[in-house]
Amino acid sequence: MDFAASEASATTAPPALAIKILIAGGFGVGKTTLVGTISEIRPLHTEEFLSDRSIGIDDTSGVEGKVTTTVALDFGRITIREGLWLYLFGTPGQDRFWFMWDELAVGALGAVVLADTRRLQDCFPAVDYFEQRGIPFVVGVNCFDGARRYEVSKIRKALGIAPEIPIILCDVRQRESVKEVLTTLVTYAVKGVPVDPHPVG
Amino acid sequence: MTIEGPGPLIRLFGLTKGRARPVGEPIDLVAIVTTLRMPVEPTDLIPEQMEVLRMCRRPTPVADVAAQLKLPLNVTRVILGDLRREGLVAIDRPRPVAQSIDERIYREVLHGLRSL
Repeated sequence: MDFAASEASATTAPPALAIKILIAGGFGVGKTTLVGTISEIRPLHTEEFLSDRSIGIDDTSGVEGKVTTTVALDFGRITIREGLWLYLFGTPGQDRFWFMWDELAVGALGAVVLADTRRLQDCFPAVDYFEQRGIPFVVGVNCFDGARRYEVSKIRKALGIAPEIPIILCDVRQRESVKEVLTTLVTYAVKGVPVDPHPVG
Repeated sequence: MTIEGPGPLIRLFGLTKGRARPVGEPIDLVAIVTTLRMPVEPTDLIPEQMEVLRMCRRPTPVADVAAQLKLPLNVTRVILGDLRREGLVAIDRPRPVAQSIDERIYREVLHGLRSL
């Protein structure tokens, strides 16, 4: 059933819009902290079929025929105004939850790939994923206490990403810093990409 | 991220009558749900469906509906699909981002982020 046509003609107010932004990066890089710094975190549960591989990881003894598991991921909502929201979804950092990325990525405005210079390779899979799907992304280098500071040019070279992709040194615990990361992403995604590279449907 | 035990799944199975997917077309994570009307016979609905209808008098994205119901995403989708089939809610199909974000919305988002 399709309500789109009747909805459009019934009202002249702009339709409600939820803009999806992904927060990706390796395990423990600060994805949940970033979401919590800028928005109210809410838990979202999703039950999924276990792959053969993950059945071996989960203890299913005593649960005959258990083929699903419940995964909890956090999301944050930023209300711009009534009917206009930004949703931040932290992508699962573990390899066994790759299947959830596609669902999260459909129709996303863009992504923040968080990197830790001590474990830069942890963010390679996320960079590859967004590059392959043409989803605009920026790299946020989370500068932990004591983390060695690198020059942006060296990080860019290490990541092997295009010169136009923004790299921002940030502290995900600081609201101003997270605001800068998000405004950079929104501008890059809207202004830097003239045609929609990932249409819905 | 945490993995929880299987206990609640038994109750969830009952809520959806064992269905893993909603009827009708797929429902996006941030599709907007809007209540169209309340049912003539409310007793036909389960409490979760009534809660959705109350919540979505104000247009609400699917992820928020799931979070407020405290139900898994796919269970929420089955419930929403049933309500859509009955004509009680409308679930919009998100448009491609490039089409939905015009200059005005872009400026609103930037301004909104900066004033947080």
